[in-house]
Amino acid sequence: MDLPPKVVSYLQDEFLEEARPFCFLIDGDYRLVDSWGQSDWCGLSGIRPAVDMREPAPFLVGMPISAVQKFEFIEMPGRAIVTMHVIPDNGQCYVVLLDARREHASIQSKQQSVNELRLMHGRQHKLIARQRDLISELVEAKSELDHHRREAERISANKSRFIAMMSHEFRTPLASIINYAELAGESGTSSNEIQKSIETISRSAMHLTSLVEAVLDDASLDAGQVELLEHDFEIVGLLNDMAAMMAPMAAEKGLSFAAYADPDVPKTVYADEVRLRQILINLLGNAVKFTVEGGVKLTATYNDGRLVVTVSDTGPGISIEDQERVFQAFERGRGRAETGAGLGLTITLRLVELMRGEVSLDSMPGEGCTVSVHIPVMAAEEGSTSSVPVLPLPGEETIAAMPLSVLICDDDEDMVTLVEHYLHRSGYGLITSSDSSEAIAKTLKFDPDLVLMDCNVPGVGGVVAARVLREQGYSKPIVALTASKLSDEQKSAFTRFFRKPASMQKLLTEIKRLTH
Amino acid sequence: MTPLTSKVCVVGDFAVGKTSVVERFVTNHFSEEYLSTVGVKIDTKEIDFPTLGMTHKLVIWDVAGTEEFGAREMAYLRGASGYIYVADGTRAATLKAIERLHKQILEAYGAAPGVLLVNKRDLEPDWEVSDERFDAIATRFGNAYRTSAKTGDDVDQAITRLAELIIDNDMRGG
Repeated sequence: MDLPPKVVSYLQDEFLEEARPFCFLIDGDYRLVDSWGQSDWCGLSGIRPAVDMREPAPFLVGMPISAVQKFEFIEMPGRAIVTMHVIPDNGQCYVVLLDARREHASIQSKQQSVNELRLMHGRQHKLIARQRDLISELVEAKSELDHHRREAERISANKSRFIAMMSHEFRTPLASIINYAELAGESGTSSNEIQKSIETISRSAMHLTSLVEAVLDDASLDAGQVELLEHDFEIVGLLNDMAAMMAPMAAEKGLSFAAYADPDVPKTVYADEVRLRQILINLLGNAVKFTVEGGVKLTATYNDGRLVVTVSDTGPGISIEDQERVFQAFERGRGRAETGAGLGLTITLRLVELMRGEVSLDSMPGEGCTVSVHIPVMAAEEGSTSSVPVLPLPGEETIAAMPLSVLICDDDEDMVTLVEHYLHRSGYGLITSSDSSEAIAKTLKFDPDLVLMDCNVPGVGGVVAARVLREQGYSKPIVALTASKLSDEQKSAFTRFFRKPASMQKLLTEIKRLTH
Repeated sequence: MTPLTSKVCVVGDFAVGKTSVVERFVTNHFSEEYLSTVGVKIDTKEIDFPTLGMTHKLVIWDVAGTEEFGAREMAYLRGASGYIYVADGTRAATLKAIERLHKQILEAYGAAPGVLLVNKRDLEPDWEVSDERFDAIATRFGNAYRTSAKTGDDVDQAITRLAELIIDNDMRGG
């Protein structure tokens, strides 16, 4: 059916009203040839023939005019929105602009909603991801807090157990001291009983001292107050000392004791002798304490710059589940019958770690226990090694040739009397002083074979006095005997350091060793 | 001064700030309101290059945002002398869109000068484009800027740089 002219005319009117077409003809140089229709709505009114149309209609810039093209929704600088048709014709080109505002507005509204939804969706995704991250962080933080809480509870429980245990541990020797002191003081007590009472009091006091020292050591390590004081020393000498100390204890329990140093162990090493000694005393003390029958063995090897000291025993062994616990403070993994603070292995582990070493433990219940300490140490003298087996030499110690003299500097008269008693008995000549400045003068004048120095004494003080003596050329041993706590640096002023209360027997043994 | 007029097209994913970048460059204004572009918006701005003794008039075609061009958008790009690629620094995925659009332009119309604007630098807490990622894409585009249409940071510098690149290209007969 052909549309009747009336309908065609109607549609044309509708289109012209809706689209408001504006048509212009340009040549190959974009210059206006002719135009038709309303131009005011699209900002092109007043254009004249021959004008370069790229000026009033910048969207023509760069546009090829050799092919039919359609561009929808061009928003022009004057904000008119057009659909543009480009129709080339014999070197010229018709450009038809149709008003597209209404259609543009409709599409823009839909597009706006879609884009806003997509943006919202993206933001939600981001938020969800952030929430997930936050939840993960919270879960992690909670787990960490739980861990810290459990750890704090465990430490608190251990401390409580420790206090209860210490209460018992301290009361037992204290009770012995009080009761035996009473017994010794009672009239009618035989001299034999008094002697036994004194021995018991002495033993109990030493036990108390070791408990206090362990607790203080642990506290110092906790507070990070322990610093290594490294120097050259003979490792075999240290192992000999250990053997001399432990062999009698082992023998008292009917245990064998053996100690060997591998030929590769250097004669002299650079390490903290005092701390290494403490580690060995802890390990050997435990081994002797827990072993009922069989024996204890101490071996030392050296490989690749690492000293490995191993203590093996034929004791009851430690179960796998107890093996980690025994290194924790206040744990006693091998039953309840033994005494002590339960700090020995904790202190050992911490000291070894301070020395950048490791501790390994190999044990099975009923099959004894082997603890090895691996410590990086430098050999002080390359190639100077000792293949001498280290053996205990009980009873082989010799008395120093007399006369030897010791200067005692202490303002505590009781202490001077006590030390005098022991040293006199061992044949030493004595020079006493209650003032450190005076002690310096007397030492330089009489040149004693050893100076025994309290630190907290009148005058310049024990530490300064020791340093002055060294500066003045006094090269013989200066031993500190003090109740004061000294830093490692202060201790370095002395040949040896004894903390009061000290065993007079041990002090005497050391003085004898140093003066021979 | 010698006039030079060039058509440049602004392309990138939706809502990355293309229209805001153009508005900042042409009128030095910024609107917080988001109004999505349908089709293309035409604007012009002249840049003086006194040292070159010339004025460069840019006819800027701000093309509706898309992550992939269709036939309508490809028609808009015909005859462009340079491209302003815009991505949103708070939406790393919009950089992927830039890579796709760049590839389509290269395949359809060949190489042309371009600058990359990683926009919305003012929204730093939401920034998703790492320095490594930015450096990697900047190396490929040659000229890349972290811009803010809101504060105007580096917008003029980026588009002026494109105008220079087009002049260089024009002088070389590109």
